[in-house]
Amino acid sequence: MPLDQHAEPKDARLVARSLKQDHEAFGQLIDRHATAIVNLAYRMVGNRAEAEDLAQEAFLTAFKALSTFRADSKFSTWLYRIAANKCKDWLRAKRPGQGPYDLDAQEVLDSHVAEHRTPEVLLSQQQVAQELEQAIQRLPPLYREAFVLKHVEGLSYEEMEEILGVNGDTLKMRVYKGRLQLSRELASLNPAR
Amino acid sequence: MDEHELSVQRFLDHDLTPEERVAFLQAVDTDPALRRCWLNLEMVVAEAHRLPRIIPSTKFFSELNAKLTPPSLGWWERMRAVVTAPRTLEWNLAGALAAACVAIVAVVGLYTMVPRRVVEVPVMNVPAQTIAGMKQEPTVFVRLVLLQPDAQSVSVAGDFNGWNPSQTPLERSDGGMWTATIPLKPGRYQYMFVIDGKQWIADPLATEEATDGFGSHNAVLDVEI
Repeated sequence: MPLDQHAEPKDARLVARSLKQDHEAFGQLIDRHATAIVNLAYRMVGNRAEAEDLAQEAFLTAFKALSTFRADSKFSTWLYRIAANKCKDWLRAKRPGQGPYDLDAQEVLDSHVAEHRTPEVLLSQQQVAQELEQAIQRLPPLYREAFVLKHVEGLSYEEMEEILGVNGDTLKMRVYKGRLQLSRELASLNPAR
Repeated sequence: MDEHELSVQRFLDHDLTPEERVAFLQAVDTDPALRRCWLNLEMVVAEAHRLPRIIPSTKFFSELNAKLTPPSLGWWERMRAVVTAPRTLEWNLAGALAAACVAIVAVVGLYTMVPRRVVEVPVMNVPAQTIAGMKQEPTVFVRLVLLQPDAQSVSVAGDFNGWNPSQTPLERSDGGMWTATIPLKPGRYQYMFVIDGKQWIADPLATEEATDGFGSHNAVLDVEI
């Protein structure tokens, strides 16, 4: 979901209280951002239990490093960055049974389309969502990360630049390629489109 | 990515100028392939935005809170932490002077309040017939007794009252017994009873007598502590 501009002053107050060892204040920060962080992790790793574990790690890391948080940036942006890094670390090291991803691979074969699908199948709305979820998991991690932040979490390219530390043109290209791969995968399932 | 796909992508991100948008929409109208590409990408964006949101489980929150809450220490661990916690002692001149003043006042006050030495007051042993007083000068109460059933009045005169027979009368009690209790300081005294104001006799119960120089004898009383 888009970052709430009005939430930041309240986030700043909660961060200040948390720095004074007010655990209840950090609890409120968790309540406010847990859904976004868990959803980001879920779209990245495709497993709910792993996503919640990664989100917990992200919050714990944020809590321990709260003194390093600079007040001139948004807490939500900072938290997204921590969570995104946790997901990438997990994908590099712990992708079960499939070996680590090459996260630095920028190119993806355009032919990487689920050709085993039956093209005659017409997809319902629910099926489209389900297929899209699975197709997102097949995106290369860097495309997936950019696509999820842009179109699932609804962030702007400026916010994504701050979170990922990558320039806007690169991010746009990743989003383009991610969208293109997803559209080809879905189109292959519904040739009528 | 060909030129058509790139223009669709830029259209989706609102990166086209107004003129480019008009040109793009005209191209979509005339090019079915471009239109299909555009619609497919629009579908991806729209469906991605509609993907269901996952609600974190209660387990997620409870576990996270447990990890964030510091472990509760027992009484001994808390005491140990308090005692062994490193501290920085800070002081300034005003604080040091104030502390010194407090210490001096405390020491002086303690010195003045504590007695220099403890004085033990001796307990006096008195004869069975006397009652010892606990005044500044030791005083012994001496009880004088005389049996005179026929007397109308009995008094005592001696060294202790200037031989004045009217100063120390005895009181009559049952059976003709006359008694008086007089306070005396330790010492040796002579005395006589005066019956009915005219008859002077020595104390028949006295343990010692002394001559008075006029042919009679006075009773002698040794008062000791």
